[in-house]
Amino acid sequence: MPAETLVHILRDNYTEAKVRGKKSFLLERQQLYSLAEFRTQTEILGFLADGPYGPELSKLQESSSPVEVERAVRMSFARSVKNLISTAKGGVKQFLVEYNRRFDAYDLAALVLYKSQGKSWEEYLATRLPLGIMNEKELHRLYSVEDLETLTSVVGDEDLAARLEGIKLEGLTPDKASLVRDIFNGWGEERFYGFISEKLGGRDKKSCLPIVGSSIDLLNLSIMLRSKLIGISDIQTHLVPIQWKLDRKAIIQLASSEDLALALDRLAGLRYYRKFLSGARQRYEETKSLSFLELFIRMHMLELSKEILLGFPYTMGIELAFLVLKENEARNLAAVVSGVGAGLKPEQIRPLVAA
Amino acid sequence: MVDAIVWASIGISLAVFLSVIGAALGISIAAPAIAAAGTERPEIVSKSLIATILAEALAIYGLVVGLLSIFKLPAAGAAALSSDSGFRLFFGGTIMGVASIAAGFGIGTSGGALASATAEKPELFSRVVVPLILAEALAIYAFVAALLLVLQA
Repeated sequence: MPAETLVHILRDNYTEAKVRGKKSFLLERQQLYSLAEFRTQTEILGFLADGPYGPELSKLQESSSPVEVERAVRMSFARSVKNLISTAKGGVKQFLVEYNRRFDAYDLAALVLYKSQGKSWEEYLATRLPLGIMNEKELHRLYSVEDLETLTSVVGDEDLAARLEGIKLEGLTPDKASLVRDIFNGWGEERFYGFISEKLGGRDKKSCLPIVGSSIDLLNLSIMLRSKLIGISDIQTHLVPIQWKLDRKAIIQLASSEDLALALDRLAGLRYYRKFLSGARQRYEETKSLSFLELFIRMHMLELSKEILLGFPYTMGIELAFLVLKENEARNLAAVVSGVGAGLKPEQIRPLVAA
Repeated sequence: MVDAIVWASIGISLAVFLSVIGAALGISIAAPAIAAAGTERPEIVSKSLIATILAEALAIYGLVVGLLSIFKLPAAGAAALSSDSGFRLFFGGTIMGVASIAAGFGIGTSGGALASATAEKPELFSRVVVPLILAEALAIYAFVAALLLVLQA
């Protein structure tokens, strides 16, 4: 028996049993669809009150806005992450701390988006998850920074600065802001990928890399497509320099596509991602937006996570797969709550749910 | 030449000592998983405790083999123990002790897995408990063999 498996059996079985227990409370697709049929937010809160979201949702008032409910749902996810970190030991703890560091990238991405939309610090703070290593004070200071160069120099990563070169914070259009978000998120995933490939080995590495590698591939795809949409010519400078299943040849082929439609058609030829991306062009033509990509990425991550959870039980992939499912559930619930709050019909909400 | 009573005493010590280690191993592997599963689903704790009970039984098997072996030892000043009996007691204790460690590891890992599986799907309990019982059966085989050896000594 490999030493890492023995370590998981002897030391990490507390965390792994906890993960299995928490997983049993994840909402199934049918439950999410049923929630989409509720007429009011109060009914949804009543349904969720007895589950893992209870502690956060019980603090809400009947008059709470969908934004407050969304935040409560996301806070519950943050509590799960913190809870797992506090119970884990040794290598698993370090792994979860690294997972948590990814949220720094999310924080910075959201910071740029909020600033570009002219929103206040308070509005940004109200939606921020208390995860990541950067504290509120540090982020508050960054919120007053007016250019991306300074922002990236504070983070201290030259590669990130190079990927954001030529993009200005002022006058950022929604598409460009989404591109910046993807670049930041890609940077976060890159750091996590680096940790997994350097510090983990054996089954741990083998189980975690597909999730993080695919995430980088799909963020690279998103960066390429958004760059095409905006009309940026030097696409490759913005990409994360890591490839999982999206090889160099495919990247060059996609980057050299004359227009977005051709690039979307070429996506269908990517063997590993064909299942999710084969309908990309149709979805784009229906919505005239690339926001469907996020849903596709989540669907792919879900499938990978479910496979890992059914596989060998003594790896760090189990913790990662659970966290992917939990994060996705929080996003699904947030989509359902805002959909119901906005008075959308169930059939309009269902396509927003990745389950 | 080592006296037969020394062999017998070593056998008794191994039976008790290694069985206790096996039991401790089983409990220390299974119990954290049971406790963790209990934090999420308190209702499964009492059922999952079967793993720790079965692990504890290993120490009892070792104790029984050890005590029966002690009863076979001649009283001080009585006739010496035959070398044949000494070896039987030694191997009886060794079989029980070593098998307890192996069974303890099996019970611990399958008990931990049982706790995880029932935390995720409580309805699986009746099926996932089978490997746990089979792991315990390993110790019972050794217990029977050890008893036969000890009783023939």
